[in-house]
Amino acid sequence: MLLDGLTVLYHRPSGMTHILVTPAPQILAALDDRPADSDELLRRIGERFEIESEDAAEAVAARLAELEAAGLVRRA
Amino acid sequence: MSDGQEDQSPMIPSRRTVLALGAAAASTVVTIRPAFAQTAGSVMNCTIPIPASGMGGKMIAADGSVVPYGTPGAFPPLSRPLTGEEAKKLLQGGQAPAGIDYESAQAYANYIRRLQPGVGGYSCYASLQNRV
Repeated sequence: MLLDGLTVLYHRPSGMTHILVTPAPQILAALDDRPADSDELLRRIGERFEIESEDAAEAVAARLAELEAAGLVRRA
Repeated sequence: MSDGQEDQSPMIPSRRTVLALGAAAASTVVTIRPAFAQTAGSVMNCTIPIPASGMGGKMIAADGSVVPYGTPGAFPPLSRPLTGEEAKKLLQGGQAPAGIDYESAQAYANYIRRLQPGVGGYSCYASLQNRV
């Protein structure tokens, strides 16, 4: 659900609600149930967006770690 | 047929949306966990039957789905329910409970992750989310 710039995800099995801000939703969309490492993820994101970051690789790795800690992604 | 006139439509530059990935230290995910009125002791003492009662004669596929008995590649139901502590260790780090091999344990872990409200063991699983 989109809510004024935020993306809200409700995980029914756990009852947890996750509130995401850019670029977390875009990263999830780029994964789209197709496993990818950081480099591949950056490539997919770069196909749709102009990436703005001082260190894109480090930023993506940090975002993935966040999503993994939240249980929204897991290692293949 | 062309009448020799050129298209006069104005050209506009195409721009892709800029996506800022943010600083490594920034936070982009906030998780709100449901409140369950359970003490730490009762969470660890809760149990998760695999599969839930009422699913007798079924087996657990590798992806955690419940399948008919005899399905190739499926794993037998557990003879006893997992404790909350065992389930927590399994879900966190893949540690198989005593007497259960790794492959079976992964199937049981996937079963737990598929639990829905109203199915036996779901409350225990949901309570673990507060402590996983």
